[in-house]
Amino acid sequence: MLEFDGLVKSYGDNRVLQGVGFTVAPGQMFGFCGSNGAGKTTTMRIAMGLARADAGEVRWRGQALDEASRQRIGYMPEERGLYPKMKVAQQLAYFARLHGLSSADAAVAAQHWTGRLGLADRRDEQVQKLSLGNQQRVQLAAALVGRPEVLILDEPFSGLDPVGVDSLAEALLEQCRAGVPVVFSSHQLDLVERLCDAVGILARGTIVASGTVPELRAAEGGRQLRVVVPDAPTGWAGAVPGVRVVSEQRGDTLLELDAGTDDQAVLAAALRTGRVTHFGWREPTLVELFREAVAVPPAVAA
Amino acid sequence: MTAAPSTAARIRLVAGREITTRARDKGFLISSAVIVLLVLGVMVFQLLSGGSGSSTAIGTVDGGAQVEQALVRSGEQVGTEVTVTEYADTAAARQAVTDGDVDAVLVGAAGEDPQVVVESSRDGAASAIAETAVGALSVARQLGEQGVSLTPPPAISYDVLDPSTEDRGQAVVVALLGVVVLYALYILFGQFVAQGVVEEKSSRVVELLLSTMKPWQLLAGKILGLGLLGLVQIVLIAVVGVTGALALDVVDLPGQLIGTVLVVIGWFLLGYALYASVFATAASLVSRQEDLPSVLTPTTLLLVVGFIVSIQAAQDPGSTLATVTSFVPGMSPLVMPVRIAAGEAAGWEIAVSVVIMLLAIALVVRIGGRVYAGALLRTGSKVKLREALRAERV
Repeated sequence: MLEFDGLVKSYGDNRVLQGVGFTVAPGQMFGFCGSNGAGKTTTMRIAMGLARADAGEVRWRGQALDEASRQRIGYMPEERGLYPKMKVAQQLAYFARLHGLSSADAAVAAQHWTGRLGLADRRDEQVQKLSLGNQQRVQLAAALVGRPEVLILDEPFSGLDPVGVDSLAEALLEQCRAGVPVVFSSHQLDLVERLCDAVGILARGTIVASGTVPELRAAEGGRQLRVVVPDAPTGWAGAVPGVRVVSEQRGDTLLELDAGTDDQAVLAAALRTGRVTHFGWREPTLVELFREAVAVPPAVAA
Repeated sequence: MTAAPSTAARIRLVAGREITTRARDKGFLISSAVIVLLVLGVMVFQLLSGGSGSSTAIGTVDGGAQVEQALVRSGEQVGTEVTVTEYADTAAARQAVTDGDVDAVLVGAAGEDPQVVVESSRDGAASAIAETAVGALSVARQLGEQGVSLTPPPAISYDVLDPSTEDRGQAVVVALLGVVVLYALYILFGQFVAQGVVEEKSSRVVELLLSTMKPWQLLAGKILGLGLLGLVQIVLIAVVGVTGALALDVVDLPGQLIGTVLVVIGWFLLGYALYASVFATAASLVSRQEDLPSVLTPTTLLLVVGFIVSIQAAQDPGSTLATVTSFVPGMSPLVMPVRIAAGEAAGWEIAVSVVIMLLAIALVVRIGGRVYAGALLRTGSKVKLREALRAERV
């Protein structure tokens, strides 16, 4: 397990993290979401030893991360950085060696990841001569080349075209299947929803929501039921007990049910009006969950 | 999975990268070639200008062995080597002067009416030698007519009271040359260290590096790697220089030459350790190559002053200025080798100077390491020294 436990961090008067905690299981892909400046990068930097937490710690396999165990983490910093004048393959082999691979293994790993990420014919080029997209791939390869046990990636998808996103996603899923816990931050919530087993939403210095996407949906209290009844008169659902009409437009009705209200009673009421062309729970998207989660509660806002 | 590399292994990796990257660098290769050529050039200049002195070529018409001998001997008296060429007639001899084959022609030296042919001026070494030779020949002939036979004057033996002075002069020249090389290498490798630090900061690769190692390990690898390269370079220059000097025979005492060269190499190590640490620390405060000069200038100034003082010390190694500055850390690596070569530095003085230097290095490494660790991850505007010391260290 990769555990982030009670991280607290202040820069001067700015209390960035106020007890951030979440857990990522081996083989789990964890999407780390939050508004700009919420503290995602700070959290990841604390894990990598690049910033010091005022309190709390990050553990891997029950042990607080230290210099030795960080060698086994593949990291992609938010601020991309590579040696601009070093050749791609050489550079990757160097990072692999810093992660403890032997000279021969490092060369093989560099060869493997450049091939895997579509950089095969760029191996002998200086990084500064590559396009931004390709530099991004090299950056990712630098995180993967050291045979990491854990991956911590800060905005790995930003700046990639759809093809690049797919090849990166495929590479990450492969790592997950091999049992590597992957934590990545992203603003592309559709991508997070598609890829991640679990999601954590960071707001106001703490994790305001975390879990699998279905869990988040379940936690989101008022689930909405969408019923389309083209022939029904306006206000048809108002009479059903425990039901609140959210919106109604030419039979396309959005309803919120109180806890304990039987959705089958709603269906029966709908059928009484005539034809029912659609009846189903409307799944909130992650974007909606996110908006809900990061919205400042009125009590705090006051 | 894989084991984390040890501290030593990490430092070796960083050092190895510095060496392989720099050894391929064009700037490095060109500057190395320039320094080697400079050293060889100085030796060739020594060979051409000094040592056996000047030489001149004089032609003769109606000369003979006696005239040739007289010319060579009168040349020896003024320290000039004379080569004599006999011409068949005056016309050929005049042509030789016009063509510049000879500096002067002496016609009919043994006769009643000797004549000297020169191209433009009668005030030359060649004409003076010719005049002296004619005089000597005339005296010898007249004495011979009077029945006096000349025996050559007895050879004079010299009793030199302080033979070291002149030889020391040569050692001082070698030391000075060494100091020029030191100065060039400090600037060159100091720049390498500084540029490397800023490159890592400006490209932000430093964050990735620091996720696998401590700042001091990165710094140590960088300084050791480039230091090793610098050492190889100065040893190479020394080998080329000493071999060249011995081959061209421009030094009188090879033992003293090698001793001086070893002293210079020793001081290279001390000076490099200090300057590389200071340059790295200063460079860690900025994030752009353009900002480098502003933080490096104070240190560079110290280096320039040390260099100027060392040149002054070569002329007057016993001066108060040279004595005092040979203890000042940062200046001592440039001034002390000259004083040692001049035989002006006592053993205890050298020891004290080295100890002061070592203490200074320890201090700079300690404070510099803190500044470096504090400033490395703060990119953007220039970091103030005090801020860097107060910043959290990773």
